[in-house]
Amino acid sequence: MNEDKGTARTPRVPFILVRSWNFIRQVLSNKLALVGAVMLFVFVFMAAAAPILTPYPPQGQVVSGPLAAPVWVKYFRGDAGLSENVNFANPTASAGTGVTLNSQTPNGADSVKMLVTTASGGPVAVKESVNYPYTGSPLRFIGGVGMTLPGTSTGNITALLFVDRYDSNNQFLKRYDLWTFSGPANSTFREGIDSYNQELLAILGISGAGTSAPDFIFSAPGQYVYTFEITLPAGFNGNILVQNFELQLFGNTFGNLGTDAGGQDIFTQFVYGARLSLYVGLFATFIGIGLGLVIGLMAGYLGKFVDEVLMRFTDMMLVIPTLPLLIVLSFILGPSINTVVLILGFLGWMGFARLVRSQVLSLRERPFIEAAKASGAGTSYILTKHVFPNIIALLYVNLALSVPAAIVSEAALSFLGLGDQSLITWGKMLELARSAGTTTGLTWWWIIPPGLGIALLSLSFILIGYSLDELFNPRLRRRR
Amino acid sequence: MGLRGYLLKRALNTFVLICFVITLNFVIFQALPGTSGLIANIIQNPKVHDPTVIEHFETLYGICKSFVNHQCIPASLLDRFTKYFVNMLTFQFGLSYQTGHPIVYDMITTGRLENTLLLLGVSTTLALLVGLFLGVLAAAKRGSIFDTGWVTTSLVTFSLPTFWMGLLAIFIFAQQLQWFPSGGVTPTTWISGKPPLLTQLFVRAQYLFLPAAVLTLFFYGGNLLITRATVLMELNSDYITTARAKGLSERTVLFKHALKNASLPIVTNAALAFGGLLGGAIITETIFNWDGLGFWIYNSIGFKDIPVMQAMFYLIALCVIFANFVSDILYGVLDPRIKYE
Repeated sequence: MNEDKGTARTPRVPFILVRSWNFIRQVLSNKLALVGAVMLFVFVFMAAAAPILTPYPPQGQVVSGPLAAPVWVKYFRGDAGLSENVNFANPTASAGTGVTLNSQTPNGADSVKMLVTTASGGPVAVKESVNYPYTGSPLRFIGGVGMTLPGTSTGNITALLFVDRYDSNNQFLKRYDLWTFSGPANSTFREGIDSYNQELLAILGISGAGTSAPDFIFSAPGQYVYTFEITLPAGFNGNILVQNFELQLFGNTFGNLGTDAGGQDIFTQFVYGARLSLYVGLFATFIGIGLGLVIGLMAGYLGKFVDEVLMRFTDMMLVIPTLPLLIVLSFILGPSINTVVLILGFLGWMGFARLVRSQVLSLRERPFIEAAKASGAGTSYILTKHVFPNIIALLYVNLALSVPAAIVSEAALSFLGLGDQSLITWGKMLELARSAGTTTGLTWWWIIPPGLGIALLSLSFILIGYSLDELFNPRLRRRR
Repeated sequence: MGLRGYLLKRALNTFVLICFVITLNFVIFQALPGTSGLIANIIQNPKVHDPTVIEHFETLYGICKSFVNHQCIPASLLDRFTKYFVNMLTFQFGLSYQTGHPIVYDMITTGRLENTLLLLGVSTTLALLVGLFLGVLAAAKRGSIFDTGWVTTSLVTFSLPTFWMGLLAIFIFAQQLQWFPSGGVTPTTWISGKPPLLTQLFVRAQYLFLPAAVLTLFFYGGNLLITRATVLMELNSDYITTARAKGLSERTVLFKHALKNASLPIVTNAALAFGGLLGGAIITETIFNWDGLGFWIYNSIGFKDIPVMQAMFYLIALCVIFANFVSDILYGVLDPRIKYE
């Protein structure tokens, strides 16, 4: 071939690299293989770069409201009724009548420290203002406030947490009280606000009305001011530290692929799922192919009694239905991703063992093996140096073609609730989507990505495997 | 060796396989975590507290040989295995932990067996018919858009995971379009009183449609591909040319001559694919809450209902072994060209 001559002139490139490069080029000259390789590359990239692609951990972080749709839904449905996450941040303090605010120092995005003096007593307020641009209300909001007053203060304070609403012309419309506090002026407290909280609904006066708190407060676009107002006693003098002063509005759209029923990012789960699927698929296949290779080599080369016993056993294992056996085994051995890998590996060797055996049977009779035997080569030497290199093509093909089966089986096990409970695999995502769907209905952005991931990842391996087969198997080679 | 010898050999092989499955089943459940996992599981079971009941269980499963003052004298492994072996062969699977009834009784009176047979029967038949018909047509129109289109479609549906297809089917047809119910075998309102027979049939068909469709989609692809391949081979034969030369219509040539001769590998393939179909049925039944044997396995996982799991695994394996046996026999009896070695 021409390429060989061209590359042979540059002696600094090691031969093995040249050969691998030519091999890869040959495989990729097949269009389907190219498609498969590109898809596989995308998934491998996703798996490797998961922490870069998404800022969230794969589980345990609530990033938005439950079942928020993907953001790009907007481009299909228009802006009507869709909202995104909005954060109230960067508090500023202001003093009311009778109070002097000597200084204020912001401390991060959600706290502020104030030095306040007052003779007659009066209010001081901390505000966070946000322009809420969406016609749709958020799904949920969470937030809170914490305050530390000097321990030496005397008297009583009252504190009020509320949201003020203004229209687009900065005209005050309505005040929504969220929480009130009264107590000694040396208190320290921290209060959380959650729109799911029933007490909050009672304070807002909408309990039992069928409206949610976000619908009630953030029903239209406009300016919203989240305020914490403290009424200080006469003679107060000192530092007030307002911390964790935050309000997060969870919109009904979020991220690339929306959120699940717990408000966790589906894109994150999808990206990390690729990691798990590749891990399970590759390792299970390595085990399976390795076992198949050893058993096939032994049966084929040693022959006679060993062959008979091994092949009888292989046939019997082939007949047993895989999925029920998988279910029973993973139930018995306990759900952990490594157990699943082991089980899949130990159930995936039969087909390959048969293939290797038949290949070895024909190789065994070839003259070059006889020559090796005649020159005194031992069994292990012949197997590793003469037989193995001749079946390595089979190995590649079967490696590629066995991965999809392992990936789909693992997903099926996870889907049946027999996978690793501490990891969110693609199968687990589908299981969660299904069990949440029995009450709220299935959501498409939750069921399509994992299934598509399983199908496309499997497809990429199948495409590569078939084209490898075409390359190695002389019967399938096309005449050009 | 004649046909009889061949059949005998196959039958013997089948029996060895059954023994292997029983042994495997025994070994697997011996490996339950803990030295005496089975006993521990029986005693932990909330339905069992009374020592006499425990004794009853322990004798039933052959764990104890006899009792002296409620003290178990454990049976030897060999004794237990023999007892287990005989029990399995005679279909005495013990009692379900969930209900306390014998498993065979639970399987039949609740209609689970019937439901699974209905689902599997309908989908296998449909998949065979659809696969045969489209496969023959694809072979006849080799190279056309029809051919490549169906080959690609069947490859895609064949490789998509069943559980995903099921979820998508529920999402599209049950939830968005609301054409079919999303799960179950019959409406829950039927417990109090059933509607007239015709309505009953219609509603049952509605409930059956989605699970049967998903299983059919999963299964028809293989049939289509193998039918296409075998019919293509037959179409090159001389007798097809003769049939065409006689002036027979193309339909007769395709379906009477080519398909008939191609049918043997198709039927065998269908029998061999039965194991995969049963696996697909477990998942399909689970997705659609179809109260059959597969759904029962899924439920028994949650309840740690080990006798049920053992029995179901054994029965499914038995079905597959039986299907293999039938396909062997079909080959032997139907094809006179086969030589028996």
